[in-house]
Amino acid sequence: MLQVKNLRKSYRAGKTTYEILKGVNLAVAQGEFVAVMGPSGSGKTTLLNCISCYIPFDQGEITLGGQELKDLDEKSLAKVRNRKLGFVFQDFMLLDGLSVQDNILLPAIIGGNTGTAMEQRGNRLCDFFGIGQIRGKYPADISGGEKQRTAVARALINDPLLILADEPTGNLDSKSSRAVISSFEEARNKLSATVLMVTHDSFAASFCDRVILLKDGTVYGTLERKGKERGGFQDELLEKIKEMNGDAA
Amino acid sequence: MKNLGKIGAELRRRNRKQYTLLSACLFFSVLLITAYVSIMRSPTVLDILPEGGDSRKMVMMIFALAAVGCGVFSIYSASLFFRYKSREAGIFLMLGASRGRISKQLFKEVMLTATGSCLAGALLGTPLAWCIWQLFRAFLVDTQEMKLSFDPQAYLIALAFTAGILVALFLMGRAFIRRTNLIDIVNQQHKSEPVHDVKPWFGPLGIVLMAAGGFAGYLAPTIMVRMLHTYQTGWTKLFYLPFFVGLYMVLIHTVVHGWRQGKSRYRNIASRSMMKFQGRQTVNNMLVLTVLIAGAYFATFNTPMMGTAQIMEMENRPVDYAFHYRADQNLPSRSEIEAMAAKDKVAVTGWKDAETAVLGSDGREEVSDGGGKFHFEYRKLGGECNCISESEYREMTGKAADVQPGRFAAVMSEESAGKMDSDDKTLLTNMTTRKSMSFGFQRSLRFGMMASPSYYVLDDADYAKITAGLAEEWCERLVCFNVKDELQTYDFAKELFHEIVNRSGPECEVDEDYDRVAKIAANEAGKAWWGDEHPEIMKVSYDQPDSSQFRIGWKYMPKFRVLDRNDMVREYAVYFMVFLFISIICFAAVLLIGYTRCVTIAVNNRRVYDDLRHLGAAPGYLFRSVRGQVSKTFGAPGLIGTVLIFAYFVMILFMNDSQITREEFSALAVCAGIALGLSIVLWAFYRFTLRRVCRMLKIN
Repeated sequence: MLQVKNLRKSYRAGKTTYEILKGVNLAVAQGEFVAVMGPSGSGKTTLLNCISCYIPFDQGEITLGGQELKDLDEKSLAKVRNRKLGFVFQDFMLLDGLSVQDNILLPAIIGGNTGTAMEQRGNRLCDFFGIGQIRGKYPADISGGEKQRTAVARALINDPLLILADEPTGNLDSKSSRAVISSFEEARNKLSATVLMVTHDSFAASFCDRVILLKDGTVYGTLERKGKERGGFQDELLEKIKEMNGDAA
Repeated sequence: MKNLGKIGAELRRRNRKQYTLLSACLFFSVLLITAYVSIMRSPTVLDILPEGGDSRKMVMMIFALAAVGCGVFSIYSASLFFRYKSREAGIFLMLGASRGRISKQLFKEVMLTATGSCLAGALLGTPLAWCIWQLFRAFLVDTQEMKLSFDPQAYLIALAFTAGILVALFLMGRAFIRRTNLIDIVNQQHKSEPVHDVKPWFGPLGIVLMAAGGFAGYLAPTIMVRMLHTYQTGWTKLFYLPFFVGLYMVLIHTVVHGWRQGKSRYRNIASRSMMKFQGRQTVNNMLVLTVLIAGAYFATFNTPMMGTAQIMEMENRPVDYAFHYRADQNLPSRSEIEAMAAKDKVAVTGWKDAETAVLGSDGREEVSDGGGKFHFEYRKLGGECNCISESEYREMTGKAADVQPGRFAAVMSEESAGKMDSDDKTLLTNMTTRKSMSFGFQRSLRFGMMASPSYYVLDDADYAKITAGLAEEWCERLVCFNVKDELQTYDFAKELFHEIVNRSGPECEVDEDYDRVAKIAANEAGKAWWGDEHPEIMKVSYDQPDSSQFRIGWKYMPKFRVLDRNDMVREYAVYFMVFLFISIICFAAVLLIGYTRCVTIAVNNRRVYDDLRHLGAAPGYLFRSVRGQVSKTFGAPGLIGTVLIFAYFVMILFMNDSQITREEFSALAVCAGIALGLSIVLWAFYRFTLRRVCRMLKIN
């Protein structure tokens, strides 16, 4: 589904160049729910921004559904973002001037898919994520958890190959976080969605099939859940993170 | 289901405040500039402000300042709009909309909004100018010359300004959408624009640069003309550059450090940090406000500067009525004037009249070398010189001149005194016999009625010798008298003035700069006199004796105090009103820009104030923090603009004659009064804005 090979990205600030990604390699299979974890500055968000083509990268390859992204022109990239990717952001990125329903339908409208079938799909997603009763409301009038579930529904409206989520629970309380993670699980289980989520939250990551640990711009290691109980997987995850941070006993 | 067009319409409807703000800012910018240019290019005004004259240059200079100010303000309002749009456009792009589509929609929206607002401003600018002018006519002064006419070409300038704004918006939009990093686009709304921290000496150095630039810019053209003998002084305006750099440094220092040290540094830390982190737009706005306030004061002070000096000159005249005329003219005699006065029940007292002579005086003429260069050449017949004998002078003034043979005393104004010294010599020539005599300067004398044009007083024997055989056309008579109850003699003064005009011959229908001696000398040398080459400067007409052009320009214009006092506002009506209009436009722009800037303080910092509230800041603290920002936005430009213009006027007045005369000091005092009044208006508007901003931030 997604293959990242030797991805490199650096930023310049004045005369200094900061290398953020130093040759990242990873792959995500169809129907997987994968988390990327790592300390601040490890390059998690940069990795996600490169995969979503929000920022250009220096070197490497990103292949999505068999399509290499690096050589695509601006128009083709827009098509990839619209048809093959769905996005969920920490601060929701909903348009305040549009209702919940219009926000969910926005990627479909941008893609020129404005039939009733899409409207019905939007309604189904609203009901699926428990936001059917607020579909006429505006973002300013709903809670953070509802906003993020709206964002998840929006990410799924075009039935993308991959959902990219950047700290989706970062601005939420524990109850809302749980609801959002459940939305991803349900999207994976019932709608066959593939999810790549960047998070700081070991609790949220413990629901994933696999966790990729990133440190100083490279992949430090990978942990697979493989049917383990969630609590046990979270403990294993925390141990690995301690080890990565040099705190292991 | 909705399509992208309907979504766009929905977003516009929900965010109409942003569109209204952009529309209003562009509309008012173009409205003010169009109104200004309508007046500036009006034939009514151009007829009064001579081409190439200082007044017209001043109007143009303030227009340039206003255009830059309104242009920067328009771009600022557009940048606010793009900041708001950035999140919307960024989300669309992230969700897969193509750049082409978003840019098309963005340009359509911006251009429709901007073009509509700008065109409305351009269309309504002239009616606004007309309305303000009609209000002047209704409530201040109305004369035949105040009838306003418009030149359609003014619209070309207004349209050029509009086109400039639209092009700037287009370029801003293109740069905005062309960025490759979508994260930058979506985060632009929350991006701060801090100014770099500056050293504590930054502000004081700025003041030094301002002073140095102001002096250098003012003196450079004079130095160029005097030392290098060239009129190509346009480039010397570059000497003003340090002034603007200094001004920018002072404003940055004000925003970054403030001028108060010690405890208050911490007390104002919240407001200062907010200003600092929007530093670029804060400083740019303050710079524009400072320049506009300075422009407004420059226009406002022009009237009292001119008016006060004139009023004082009038009030200090030693006699009520005075006029001079060529001896070959059939002007009313003493008995005729007394009869005229008796008819109007006016008692003439202290009648004095004297014979004077117009002689040729030598001098140095500036001769053009082409390409803006010139050199001086000595001319035996340089120009006219009015002379009077010592005894006639004593008869006229009651004071002895005590002039020695071979010397002359010059009757001078206070400003001109000191411009001659004992080494100065002049060669006077009888224009009929062409006999010449050389005279040395002895002393200067004061007598208001004979200071402009200046009279030379000669020893009686010398006077008789040099004027022997002088034809009547070169002889003049100078008449002075007083009246009882001067204030009641306006009708008599006007009648006498018209009688003098009616009985003056066509040879006297000339401007005060008309110089027969220089003309004869040029013609005898086989050249054309410059006055003949510029007939537009020399035009006065007996047909319009009450026009300001005639009364200000006629060579033989009588000095009747009651007439001048009553008609001064009428004579200078257009002139005064133009500058009043300009100051209104500049102040309107100041209030508009200041208000918009302060409103954006509220919009940009809403979250910060919420955070401060959550940290336990009391309403009083929040209020002080808002006041700190709003007061700086209005206060710093107001203070700097006012001080600047005062300093500039003092410098000009002092540099003119190395002194500040009583008239000039009084004019400065009047200007200070006006500045105080306008500062109170500015303060009231600041209080109004402060209340609005506090209400927006829900601070009681």
